[in-house]
Amino acid sequence: MLKQLKNTAELSEEEKSLLARVGYQGEESRAGTCVLVDQSVRCASVGDPGVEIMPLREALIQYDWVQDLMFGLVDPGESDHIKQAAEDVHDPVGHFVRVKAGAKVRLPVQTFSLIETPQGRQFLHNITVIEEDAEVDLISGAAVPSGVHSGHHISIEECYLREGAVCRSVSIEEWGADMQVHSYARTDLARGAHSISNQILMTPLKHHFSQSRATLAEDAVCNDRTVIFAPAGSNRTMESETLLKGKGARSESLTRMVTAGGNVVNRALIVGEAPGTKGYLGCDGLKLTDEGEILSMPGVLAKTADAQLSHEASVGMISEEKMAYLMSTGMDEDAARDLIVQGFLNLKEQELPPTVRMALEKMIAAARSGSM
Amino acid sequence: MQGTLQLRDVSISAGTQPVLNAINLEVGEGELHLLLGPNGSGKSSLLAGIMGLPPFRVTCGEILFRGERIDGLPTDARARLGIGMAFQRPPSLEGVTVRRFREVLGASSSHMAEAEALDLNSFDDREVNVGFSGGEIKRWEVFKLFLQTPRFLLFDEPESGVDLEHIAGIGGAINRMAHSLDSEGARRSALIITHTGLILDYVDADAGHMMIDGRVVHSGKAGELFAHVQRRGYKLPVG
Ligand SMILES: Nc1ncnc2c1ncn2[C@@H]1O[C@H](COP(=O)(O)OP(=O)(O)OP(=O)(O)O)[C@@H](O)[C@H]1O
Ligand SMILES: [Mg+2]
Repeated sequence: MLKQLKNTAELSEEEKSLLARVGYQGEESRAGTCVLVDQSVRCASVGDPGVEIMPLREALIQYDWVQDLMFGLVDPGESDHIKQAAEDVHDPVGHFVRVKAGAKVRLPVQTFSLIETPQGRQFLHNITVIEEDAEVDLISGAAVPSGVHSGHHISIEECYLREGAVCRSVSIEEWGADMQVHSYARTDLARGAHSISNQILMTPLKHHFSQSRATLAEDAVCNDRTVIFAPAGSNRTMESETLLKGKGARSESLTRMVTAGGNVVNRALIVGEAPGTKGYLGCDGLKLTDEGEILSMPGVLAKTADAQLSHEASVGMISEEKMAYLMSTGMDEDAARDLIVQGFLNLKEQELPPTVRMALEKMIAAARSGSM
Repeated sequence: MQGTLQLRDVSISAGTQPVLNAINLEVGEGELHLLLGPNGSGKSSLLAGIMGLPPFRVTCGEILFRGERIDGLPTDARARLGIGMAFQRPPSLEGVTVRRFREVLGASSSHMAEAEALDLNSFDDREVNVGFSGGEIKRWEVFKLFLQTPRFLLFDEPESGVDLEHIAGIGGAINRMAHSLDSEGARRSALIITHTGLILDYVDADAGHMMIDGRVVHSGKAGELFAHVQRRGYKLPVG
C-alpha cells in the first residue's frame, strides 16, 4: 500500500541513481519517502500507516500544533541564516515527518534533498516528530548531479523525540566541490527517548558549517557517530552541543576526521546539568598528507557534582608500522592505506546501505589518488 | 642446489643503529630452519630485514630469494614474490575486521578448516589484533599465513605465551602448511624463531642457527643444537 501525495511527481531514473549513492531505495522498500529538489517538494509517499510525510507548508495548515514546533528549538536570533528564514515572506520549504505514537515502523523512512540548478540556492526547514514510544529508522541524504559544482544549501532541522521514542538515523551528504553548506540541527529528546545517529560527511565541498544541539530530558540517551573526510580544498567546521538536562541522561559521541589536504574544525561540548548524567566525547583525527589541518576541541562542562563527563582527542598520521604489517601480506601501499583509513572511519557494514558503502570506498580511493 | 633464501654477508641496521653483522645463511627448498638466541640478539631484526620492514634495512651484503636479489625491494614486492611472516608483536588494526582483511587479500574461504584448527572460527567480526589475547595473536598470525600461502615462511616465536592445547593447534598448522606444496608445486621453506622448542614436537626442523650479539655464531642440526641450548644455554658448542 503505497500512497502518493497529491501534487507530487516521479523521480527520473537519473535522480534515483544519484540519490542511491546517499541511501535512496525504491519507495516500495521504504515506509516513507520525501525528496526535495531545489526549492520544492518533488515527491512524497507513504507506505506505512504509522508514518505521515508532507511538505511543511501543508502540515502547518493541516495541524495547528505544527506552528508551535516550528522555531521551537531554534531561536532566530542565533544566526543570520536562521533569522533570514524566520523573516522570510515566502512559504517555508521543507518536509514534515511524523511517526505516530506507538508505531514500530518496520522499513526505514527516507528523506533527501537535491540541488539541480547550478549556483542554486536551497533554503530548507524540516520538522520531524517521533511520537511517544514510536520506533523508526531514518535515512537522509543530500546530493547534487555531477554538473553542479557551485551553490548554497542552508538547512534548519528541528527534530522532536517524544517520551520513549527510538530513532536510528543515517545521514549522508554528497556535494559539489565549490558548494557552501550551512546546517543547523536541533534535537529534543523527551524522557527516555533514544537517538542513535550516524552522520557521514565525505565529499569535497568548499565550505561547510554545521551547528547542532541536542537537549536530553530524564533518562534520554543519545549515541552519535560522525565521520568526516576533507580532501584538498574542503573546509568543514562542526560545532555541537549536548545538554544533559534531565536526571540520568546519557550521551556518547564519536567523531572521526580524516584530512587529505582539507581543513576540519570540530568543537564539541557536553554539558551535564543534572545528577547522574553521563557523557563521553571521542574525537580522533587522521592526517594523510602534510597539507590540511585538524583542530579538535572537545569540551565538557559539569554543572552538578555527580555528572560523569569525559573526552579523548587525538590527531596523528597513519602508522608506518601498520602500513608495513599490511604490506608484508602482499597488499600494495594504496590498498593498505585504504584499509587503514576505512578502519579508522569505522564504516561498519551492517549500519550502512551497501550502495553507500561502495560509494564511500570509491571516495576514499579517489581522494588518495588525488583525482577528486 | 641453490637455496630458496640466501643471505650473503648481510648487515642490518635499525634506522642508523647497526644490529646485525655479516650474516651468512642459506635455506633450501622444503627446508625448515630454527633460529635460536638470547633476548636482544637480533633474531626479530633478521626476520624484519628479510621482510623489509621499516626501520630495518640492509646496509651491506645481499639477500637473494629464488636467485633474485630482494634487499632493495619494498615490503609488498617481497611478499608478492612469496615471503610471509608471522609477527612476534603485530600492531592492532582498529576498525579492520578479520573478514575485511580476508576480502582485501582475496583469500578463498577454503581455509575455514584451518581457522577451526586454530580455534579462530568465530573471529570474522573481530578487528585484527584488537583486544586479542597473547595466544590469540599467535594463532591469528599463523592463520594469516594460510590466507597468503607464501612459499617462504618466517615465524617469530609462534608458540610463545600459547597454552599447551593451542600449541598443538599451532604446531599442527605449521606442519601442514610447511608440508603443502605451493601453487607452482614447489615445497615451502621456513625460518622459525623459538625459545621453548615446543614447536619441535610438531615439525621436523632440518637445521638450526645460533645467534648472539647480532651474529650467527653457529649452525648445525636443529635437534642437536636445541638440545645443546637446553643443557648449556647459549654457549658455543665445542668441537
Ligand atoms: N627500532 C630499533 N631501534 C634501535 N634498536 C633496535 C630497534 N629494534 C631493535 N633494536 C635493538 O636491536 C637488538 C635486537 O633486537 P631484536 O628484537 O632483533 O632481538 P630478538 O633476538 O628478537 O630478541 P627477543 O628474543 O627478545 O625477541 C636489540 O638490542 C634491540 O634493542
Ligand atoms: Mg624477537
